[in-house]
Amino acid sequence: MDVKEISQGIFELSKGKKKQLATRNLNPGNSVYSEPLVVVDDVEYRRWDVHRSKFGAMILKKFNVPLNPESRVLYLGAASGTTVSHISDIATNGLIYAVEFSSRTMRDLVMLCEKRPNIVPVLADAGQPSHYSHIVEKVDVIFQDVSQPNQAEIAAKNAKAFLKKDGFLLLAIKARSIDTVANPKKIFKEEVKKVTNNFAVEFEILKRSELDPYHEDHLGILARLK
Amino acid sequence: MEITTWFGTIVTDKDRKISTKECSLCSKNPDSIARHIIDSRPSKASSLQIDLRSTALECGFVDSEEEYETLLRESAIKASKIQISNATTIDIRIIQAVEAIDDIDETTNLLSERLSEWYGMYFPELNLTSEDLAQFVAKHGSKSNLTQDNEWYSIANNSMGAELSGSEEKVIKDFATNLCNLYKNRKEIEDYIMENMEYAAPNLTNIAGALLGSRLISMTGSLERLASLPSSTIQVIGANKALFKHLRSRATSPKHGVIFNHPLIKNAPWWQRGKIARAFASKISLAARIDYYSGEVNDKLSINLDEKIQNIKNTYPYPPGKNKSKN
Repeated sequence: MDVKEISQGIFELSKGKKKQLATRNLNPGNSVYSEPLVVVDDVEYRRWDVHRSKFGAMILKKFNVPLNPESRVLYLGAASGTTVSHISDIATNGLIYAVEFSSRTMRDLVMLCEKRPNIVPVLADAGQPSHYSHIVEKVDVIFQDVSQPNQAEIAAKNAKAFLKKDGFLLLAIKARSIDTVANPKKIFKEEVKKVTNNFAVEFEILKRSELDPYHEDHLGILARLK
Repeated sequence: MEITTWFGTIVTDKDRKISTKECSLCSKNPDSIARHIIDSRPSKASSLQIDLRSTALECGFVDSEEEYETLLRESAIKASKIQISNATTIDIRIIQAVEAIDDIDETTNLLSERLSEWYGMYFPELNLTSEDLAQFVAKHGSKSNLTQDNEWYSIANNSMGAELSGSEEKVIKDFATNLCNLYKNRKEIEDYIMENMEYAAPNLTNIAGALLGSRLISMTGSLERLASLPSSTIQVIGANKALFKHLRSRATSPKHGVIFNHPLIKNAPWWQRGKIARAFASKISLAARIDYYSGEVNDKLSINLDEKIQNIKNTYPYPPGKNKSKN
């Protein structure tokens, strides 16, 4: 099996024509969401299921992922930690602040945090950044996947509060949580506009792309804070 | 100026310099920091004006960045754990019970169908179903065990069913006993819901009944969420398919969702149902709000509802469009 590093800490395992995304396992021997573990040349990799992770899908859509081993990350909408675990594999010396509002999914996330030294769990509403401003410091990257109707506003609020200048925002927008019946293309256009300059912060959109066939009616956005 | 951080309160002077003497820092113990994190949730984002990490180093709370990260992580995990265990409120517990009832219903249906197929080979004339059948089989086993005073005795004697005996009888009897226990367990859970709904949401129980009330809480996710919904939404909870068909195409709007199961609507004639559902839903929404925000019992609500429904019944005694006026 061939291993190719396509971005810092993110690998592509290929066997013949079959290609898979993976990260190096920070916690060897353990799999987080029963994803397969692959050992190549004595290094253990965890396969990244892009159908369950919007950011995995973004990487396949050729987004430049602004992550390095030292990155400090704010992850909004961490859920049970599927994607967070991969970011934790990449930002090995950094710190990830994982914000999640549901105490049910937080249960799984806390168990993940106990196994990995670089995740800080925050049980709070991502729409109210002030509620966790006593925990979270300035970060290099904000990941957001919250499926709320005011996604753009939440991203802007958090970027204003926690993102360093020239920091990056990776945003997954779910059309169906904004309007269940309207045309997704139209929603995306409005949301991108909102993100760019509707709220107190301004972003430069570096890349946008729909995430099909991995996620239906989702848009991925990579933006830089001006 | 006072700034709340996870490691204590930081005081700065006019030039934004930290005055170390006035700061009140936490002790370096993850448990007490966890408590502090939960209790001192900032109202405004005041700590954004300083860099938390360098401040912690500056005022001597930690000696290195590694220590900062380790302590923060441990405390945040502890804080999350406390918040998770506090989040298990009584309405969340009731939701689990309601969902357990749904699961039991599904299972008992499946098992009792199997039992009636299975036992039908040995005693096809027995026309009992569900719980009665399970109890019959659990008690008697083979039909040859029936005594003369049993009402099925003569029918059993002329039955076309096969013989049932030995290990086969034991297996099928145990199967039936398990099914009986499930029915018993369902009743216990129902009693538990009744008891706790009185306590968790007395007004809602008063208006909608314990079972419908708990079902509404379960479908919305919590009492808080039910209390925050408009009554027009409560009216159609559980009619998702019809509602989205209505929103997407030109289908008519649904009149009632899960609240249809209340006798008030179920037993009303069809032309009154929509109107009653609207009145009923509005009272449910009021009751849920009283329960969530004040918790006091308000008897007026059910009296008002009765009046309103009587009013509807008097105004629309006949189906519409048939020109049957009162005169």
